Amino acid sequence: MDGFFNKIGELFSTPEYINSLLHGFLLTLQIAYFAILMGLLLGTVIALIQTAKKSKLMILPKFICNLYVTIIRGTPMALQLFIMFFVIFAVRGFPQIIIAIIAFGLNSGAYVSEVIRGGILSVDKGQTEAGLALGLSRTTIFFRIVTPQAIKNIIPALGNEMTTVIKETAIVSMVGMYDLNMAAKDIGSGQNMASYIVPMVVAALFYLATIYLITFAVKQVEKSLRKSDLRVEK
Amino acid sequence: MSLLSVVNLRKNYGENKVLRGVNFVMEEGERVVVLGPSGSGKSTFLRSINRLEEPTSGDVYFNGTLITDKNIRKMRQDIGMVFQHFNLINNLTIMDNLILAPVKLKLMKRDEAIKRAKQLLRHIGLSDKADAFPASLSGGQKQRIAIIRAMMMRPKLLLFDEPTSALDPESIGEVMSLIRELADDGMTIMIVTHEMSFAREIATRVVFIDEGKIIEEGEPEIFFSHPKTPRVREFLEKVL
Ligand SMILES: Nc1ncnc2c1ncn2[C@@H]1O[C@H](COP(=O)(O)OP(=O)(O)OP(=O)(O)O)[C@@H](O)[C@H]1O
Ligand SMILES: [Mg+2]
Repeated sequence: MDGFFNKIGELFSTPEYINSLLHGFLLTLQIAYFAILMGLLLGTVIALIQTAKKSKLMILPKFICNLYVTIIRGTPMALQLFIMFFVIFAVRGFPQIIIAIIAFGLNSGAYVSEVIRGGILSVDKGQTEAGLALGLSRTTIFFRIVTPQAIKNIIPALGNEMTTVIKETAIVSMVGMYDLNMAAKDIGSGQNMASYIVPMVVAALFYLATIYLITFAVKQVEKSLRKSDLRVEK
Repeated sequence: MSLLSVVNLRKNYGENKVLRGVNFVMEEGERVVVLGPSGSGKSTFLRSINRLEEPTSGDVYFNGTLITDKNIRKMRQDIGMVFQHFNLINNLTIMDNLILAPVKLKLMKRDEAIKRAKQLLRHIGLSDKADAFPASLSGGQKQRIAIIRAMMMRPKLLLFDEPTSALDPESIGEVMSLIRELADDGMTIMIVTHEMSFAREIATRVVFIDEGKIIEEGEPEIFFSHPKTPRVREFLEKVL
């Protein structure tokens, strides 16, 4: 036990280690942040295409989206990351962080599209029909009727997806990127502290705190959405 | 010129031929009750008129104009519809449910629409519900709101698809009296209902659909007491 506390002291009193940890953490946050943004954008577009009214014009886009979602959800994230790094962007000097963001963004987009699609489909079709019968346009119906109700179903699952992305970015250490996970391993290695437990526990706490913060924020958003129309709850 | 005329309307769902050539003409001021066994195509018929279902073939003329995909939104403004499950918009207050379409479609200014909504709410005794959300209303209240929501548009024709089928007996009465009132005011109405005595009372004409075709129609007195076809006789024996 003494050793453990000594190691904690050592970690926090060595600026080099602290720096490494913070750098790693920053990289993790950067990848996750931009990947989540990209996933949200991409997922929204895919969900809109998938839920659009069937028509000749939409056959191909719908097919492509379905294929895309199937492939992403049916293969390991780690393999997708490898393909991005070693096949598609196998160009010397291409910034690694961008490759990682694209890999995680593309992955998250597929999952986000499922979440949003589910949210849209969960809104009772009768209300759309009522809007149509009144002569409203599909755009008005989408923004005034479907979206506000879909969002309530979407937010919790979306929060879940965000935390998943943050945790999954840890596999970038497999392609040699210096994220929080990699920092912990590096600090604990033989040339440095020669003990993994402390840096890894500290890294875990960093992840935990981040996830906790996001979960908390999402809960708050959920609450405020519910408060604005408590009476809507069935 | 007839208000509504339906020519050889057909609707297939894949192999399932639900409407098999419906021909139908309706004049202003008429109140047509559509009867028929379950699954005969009554709802599909109503929903094909305002194109909630795309007809497979056939034409619908409203006020002398052929309804097409291009003009359908304009046409729908004049064809109100009331659904079995009310279909109020859950995220909007009652007031917003009432004024959304007329304001959005620029048929009325916002304050005009609010004024009319308040009048209609007062008329049905639900003034205190203007700021409530649909979930806090009883079924009968929801359906009466749905009816005045349709009336906000001052439609030339009002379609009802089993407006009382999802209601408890007490609410059924409330909704029926409101429909009765509209009828007395001269509203042109087409209604699918399984309430035979109400049908008999309100109809100026009864139409009977069986297996996707109108097989008999006539004035309610004659239709109910002297049905011509064996199919209708058999149906009436069961339900009366
Ligand atoms: N969206 C749909 N897809 C496939 N089949 C449908 C669809 N809507 C209706 N049908 C079929 O069309 C037939 C007629 O349905 P419809 O709802 O018009 O009957 P209905 O006369 O209104 O019956 P009910 O009295 O039970 O309301 C039924 O066999 C039904 O299964
Ligand atoms: Mg029906």
